[in-house]
Formats: sequence, C-alpha cells, structure tokens
Amino acid sequence: MRRRIGSAAVALVGALLLVSLFLHLVPGDPVDVMLGEQATEVDREALRRAVGLDLPWYSQLGVFSRQLVTGELRTSLPPFQRKVLPAIGTALPYTLVLTVASMLIALALALPLGVAAAARRGTAVDAVAMGTSVAGVALPRFWLGPVLIIVFALKLDWLPVSGAESWRHLVLPALTLGTALAAFLARMTRASMLEALREDYVTVARAKGLSPRVVLWKHAFRNALLPLLTVLGLEFGTLLGGAIVTEKVFAWPGMGTLLLTAIEKRDYNTVRATVLVFTLCYVAVNTLTDAAYARVDPRVRRRS
Amino acid sequence: MPPLPTRALMRGLRGRFVLCLPGLFGMVGCRAEPPAEGITVLLESPPDSLDDRFALTANGQRLAALITPGLLAFDDASQPVPVLAESFREVSPTLMEFTLRPGLTFHDGTALTAEDVKATFDGLRDARVRSPRAERYAALKWVEAVDARTVRFHLERPYAPLLAELSAGIIPSERTGADDVAAQGEHPVGAGPFRFESHPDEEHLTLVPFEGWYAGAPALPRLRFRVVRDETTRVLELLKGRADLAVNVVSPAVLPVLRREPHLRVLSRPGTGFAYVGLNLREGPLADVRVRRALCHLVEVGPVVEHKLHGLARPSQGLLPRANWAWAPSAGCPYSPEEAARLLDEAGYPDPDGPGGRPRLTLSLKTSTDRLRRAVGLVLKEQLARGGVQVEVRALEFGTFFDDVRRGRFELFTLKWASVMEPDLLRGAFHSMNIPTAENNWGGFNRGGLRDAALDSVLEAAARAPREERTALYAEAQQRLDALMPILPLWHEDSVAVVSTRLEGFEPSAHGLLTPLARARMASGAKERAQ
Repeated sequence: MRRRIGSAAVALVGALLLVSLFLHLVPGDPVDVMLGEQATEVDREALRRAVGLDLPWYSQLGVFSRQLVTGELRTSLPPFQRKVLPAIGTALPYTLVLTVASMLIALALALPLGVAAAARRGTAVDAVAMGTSVAGVALPRFWLGPVLIIVFALKLDWLPVSGAESWRHLVLPALTLGTALAAFLARMTRASMLEALREDYVTVARAKGLSPRVVLWKHAFRNALLPLLTVLGLEFGTLLGGAIVTEKVFAWPGMGTLLLTAIEKRDYNTVRATVLVFTLCYVAVNTLTDAAYARVDPRVRRRS
Repeated sequence: MPPLPTRALMRGLRGRFVLCLPGLFGMVGCRAEPPAEGITVLLESPPDSLDDRFALTANGQRLAALITPGLLAFDDASQPVPVLAESFREVSPTLMEFTLRPGLTFHDGTALTAEDVKATFDGLRDARVRSPRAERYAALKWVEAVDARTVRFHLERPYAPLLAELSAGIIPSERTGADDVAAQGEHPVGAGPFRFESHPDEEHLTLVPFEGWYAGAPALPRLRFRVVRDETTRVLELLKGRADLAVNVVSPAVLPVLRREPHLRVLSRPGTGFAYVGLNLREGPLADVRVRRALCHLVEVGPVVEHKLHGLARPSQGLLPRANWAWAPSAGCPYSPEEAARLLDEAGYPDPDGPGGRPRLTLSLKTSTDRLRRAVGLVLKEQLARGGVQVEVRALEFGTFFDDVRRGRFELFTLKWASVMEPDLLRGAFHSMNIPTAENNWGGFNRGGLRDAALDSVLEAAARAPREERTALYAEAQQRLDALMPILPLWHEDSVAVVSTRLEGFEPSAHGLLTPLARARMASGAKERAQ
C-alpha cells in the first residue's frame, strides 16, 4: 500500500512539472489572449504584474503549489481571480455522470456483441458485429455528436440539443461517447473470449457435458473479463479526463470544457490544477482496477 | 460544495419520467419543453467579467453595457450619444462638462448623482482597484462633482480620445472602492436597462428589465444568456428554436441554411470589424513600398467577400469604417496586374521566365487556424500567384500565431481589428513610438514597423486637436497612409444577428452590441406559438 501511495505521488509531481514546463514552452502570452490586439503595453504590463506572470516559471509553480495546498488557488487571470477548486468541484460531478452513463451504454452494447461474435466466429453474426464496431471506432465524435443531435433533437424532437439541465440532456452525449467506446470494447471482448474458448478448462467443461450456454458465460466469459477490466479501467480514466470534443459539442460543463477554456485563455493555474485532478483520477481508477482484479481472479488475490 | 448536477438530473428524471415513458428510445411523443419566459441569447464564450471596469473581452463589455451603462455611448458612426448624461459639452480643450438626466436611479433604488460619477472614475484610476483600464485615464487630472447633476472632467492636456474612455459604466459610489470589487463582480449593480438576476455558473446568466430605466422598463420579460462554445451546436440550437438571438457568433457560410428557416431571420448591417493583411516593413522585399503597392494591386477583395463571406462585408475604402465620423476617402489600389508587374519590375523583381513558371518572389503568410481566416489566406495565395508572387500559407494556433506577429516574425499575416470606434487607434497602429521591441516587451501595436515622421506628427496633432478639427487631420493621415501602404486593407465585416420570430424590434448595431435589446419586445402570440 505504501508503495502504491509513493508511486501515485511521483506521478502527481511528474505531471505537475511536465505540464508547467510545457505551458511555458508553448508560445503565446496569456496577457495577449486576454487583452486582444488593441491592448496598450501599459495595460499589458499592469496585468502581467497583477497576476504574477512576470515571475519565472519555477517561482510561479512554487506559488501555485503553496496556494493549492491551502485551497487559496485562484485563476491566473483577473479580473476576479476566482478560486479554482470550486470550479473543479462543479465540473467534476458532471464529468463523472457522463462517464458512468457512457460506460454503461458501452458495456450494454459491447458485451453481448463481443460474446455473440466470438461464439459464432466466422459467421454472419461475427461479420456484422465486427463491421459495426469498426464503423463505431472510425466515426469521429465531432461528427457523430451533431448527427445524433440532428436525428434525435431536430428531426424526431425527442431530446434537447445541448446543455446539462436534466437527464434528457445526458442521453446524446452519453450515446456519442458510449458508441465509440462500445465499438472498441466489443472487439476486445471478442478477442479475449476467443482466447478463453481455446483454453483447456473450456474443453473440460464441454467434455463434462455442460450446456454451451453455461460453458460460454460461466467458464469462458468470466475468464475473458480480466483483460477487459484493464481496458475498462484505462478508458474510464481517459473519460474522466473530460471528453473535450463531446463536452464542447453538447455544451456539457465538465472537466473537458474547463480545461479547454483554461488552455485557450492560457490560464496556467486552472490548467495545472485540472491536470493534477486528471492524474489523481487516473491513479485512483488504476488502483480500483487492481482491486477489481483481485475480486475477479483468485490467483491475483493470493499473490498479493 | 456546489450542488451536484445529479440532483438536477434526478429532478428532471422525476419530473419527466411520468410524462414520457421509459427507455432510451421509447420517448416518442415526449417533446422538449416549450421555451421559457423571455428570450435566450447565445454567446460563444463566457464574459470575463460583468464589471465594466474589468471586462476586456467583447462579451464582458457587451453584457456590462446592459447592466451598467455609462454617461455616453457611441452610435454606428462612432459619434458620442448621451446615455446617462442628458448632455455634455467641451468647455475648453481641457475641460468637459456633463449634465446627468434628472431622476436617475440605480437598480438598488438609490439615486445616481454626480458624486457616483466622480467616485466611479476615481475608483477606476485607483491603483488598489487594479482596473486594467486605469492607465487609459492618464490625461485625466481630476473629476469634479459640481452639483447633483453636473460633473466636470479636468484634463492634464488636450486629449480628445479621452471621450471614449468616459463611456465607462457608472456604479454606485459605495461600490467603487478596492474592497468592493468582488461584490460588484458577483452581483453587479448599475443604472442600466437590465438588472442582474442570477449567474449560477459560467454558462448561464439571467437579466430582468429594470423598471427605473430612464427610457422606461424594457418590454422583454427576461434575458437568458447561454454559452455554447461549439458553432455547430449554436446553429442546431437556433434551428431547434431554443435560442432567440445570436449576434456575430455564426459564420457566414451557415447563414443561408438559417435564412431558409421560417422561424429565424438573419439581420445584418455594415459593421466595424476590419480585416487586413499585415506587412513586415522592417526588412526584405516588403520594406520597398513598390512591392507593397504591387501586392495591393494584385488582391481582389470583391470576390473574397462575395464567396467566402457571402456578401456580409464591405471591401474597405480606407482604414476606418465607411460610417465612422473620421472616415476619409482613400485612393485605394484598383485591381491591376499590369501596374503590379510594372512596380515589381521596377523594384528589382523581374519575372524570371514569363507568366507562369518560376515566381518573381516568395513570401510567407501566417494566419490563425480559424476556418474562415485560413480559407481567405488560400484565396490570397491564389490571387498573388497570378501576379508571380508565390505565397506560403501557414496556419498556427492563435496564441502561437499572435506571438509571432508581435515579435515581428512574419512577412505577411492576416488579422482583424475587432471594432473600430475611436480613430486614435491609427496612432496606436502606425506611430513609430508604438513599434514592438524587446524593450517594451513586444507590446506596441505598430507591428509592421512603420516609421514616418510626417505621419507621426499628423496623428499626434489629431489626438490633441479639438473635435471639429480632427476630421481634417484624419483625412490627412489617411492620405499619408495611402502613400505608405503599411498594410493591405481588406474589408469591414458586417454585424450579423440571427433572430427568432419570437423576438421583435431588435436592430443590430454596427458594433455588435446587445443594447438594442432594451428596445426589443416579444412578438405578439409568441407564447401560443411556443406551446
């Protein structure tokens, strides 16, 4: 456990350093982005001093860390240097809801599809399932999102276009994210099912005279879950990092939107803080994945 | 801990579940809610501040103007018009006197007097308030509240452009200090036509009409502002009828689609945004005015406006918008490949192997990644190639692009002056004092590096001169600029508003302001139609 916390801390510090460094290597000045083309140099200097942008990047990082720990961290940009943590506190739950919803959609689509494709390998079922999933992976979200809006919000008039006011606003963004993920998961499921079906214990189960259904779900599927869990954990972490494109298309006020706005404004503090939160989420999800491993696979449990 | 959205989601769930039955796809017959009371205005990005003293983005300033208007505003010709002031006059070149309208009140019910005006401007210039606009008042010596309705501005030296800065929003005197900055930012109070109601998150803002507005309470029952960052989504919201107004946030290419919708109207009028090609005058071929003129003769603005901007711009006739009071006719440079060829020959760039074939010279053009700007860059490349000038177009992310422009790392670039009101802008853009250098931290606005003593003195004189003499001086400056050709003027972009039929009486302003909302109203029968 101590090792785990140690490596998480290293990941956090590393991410913070890298992000700060990159922010300063990226050309462009937050002051310009804010003041626009017609700003005078006096305005510019005043602003730079007011927000501490005149300090070297490592001093800025020092100030950042101190403020983060005390919870006093504010956005790098005036006029109101709003506190950053509450902004993250507002955005994160939106992202969580969206992530969980799209994960559920993805699982609901992918598991049956992948298992069916593996069970009837080489048949039309397989071809159709895998064909759809290739399409699902290939469709870009900035295209799929608007198309779903046009179909379900404009033509059918069932759902709202964008925003985050009720569960109905959640459906389209979750579908957009979910389908792409489902396509990927379906392929993974199929592959790992095929592998499991080739194992000796499946042959044994079949030889015992168990019904194909029991063999498929109880013996093969449960073993095929292991690699899936890994992928699922990674994807969950990625989704928590804010699905920037999807959030932008659906005006979903989550972490992706927060990060995007912060980058456009070169709001260094918010960028740093959101990236830290992403790193935290990633570490947390990976830890949870490991724990889930232990539950699913007794061998792992025994080893640790 | 802010409220979890799950709660809102659950509320929606309980509210809707009964009406539109279960399952993801089983909601046939379950319509989106009818539009709520009032109108919805789409914004492309959140305002940086609702406090006029701090708002630097267009959206911040447009919203602040609704809540906290100033003594005066500028009309489509960029002429000052009194707002909270009833009248104003120039007593002497260093003294301006404003008379307030009688009976003005703030949203909180207190009276607006000359003391509030004085306190507002004193606060703005107070270093502890840290307004980024403080330095613009360098020419202002002191403000005098003569009586309840009379206020005088004493200047250090004659400086006509100060009038533009006197349009700053007036706030109650007890909110002008350094300790009250947060209060004014979170819940702004002013004397404007609309009163702040709520700002629950970055994406939403609600304003309601102010009964005490001097011209009578606005007829619109509520203004709901919504930030939708994705342009496609803004268009879809408009198509769906869930938004009633979008000003300058839909690009010309999609407008034909919106025009076809019976429930939408597209209104436009000549605007003040100015697109141009910047030239690096410091070195290389563009240091030669003949080459600059040649480029100008090769660029045909008309077709670009017609095809890329769908006619929603006017080819520039001079640097200032046609409607600006200081506008003066410009000689311009008619399309003429022959003249361009002659000038390039003269400048020492002969055509190596006749028309087509190898170019006379090669230049690079930097643009932002904006779709429209990039497309325009490619058209320019094509047009210049016909005259033997090869152009490499490089599209860069805005921050990077702008950094290059400021530091003079370009030969050609395309940019836009967002809104041209005060002609003193020309001094910023072309006076040799304003060339960006390492010493001024690359801050000047004369990015091409133009140095011309004659122009400098005309522009200085125009900033000092009394109002009525300025027009002639700017005409002189325009003439000088025609001869020097430091940039290639392209066009002035129209101000375009997409308006739903629920909203009546909205007339877009040249500057893309939202203030016309104060005179707009709901269409009769809008409610029934919405159901």
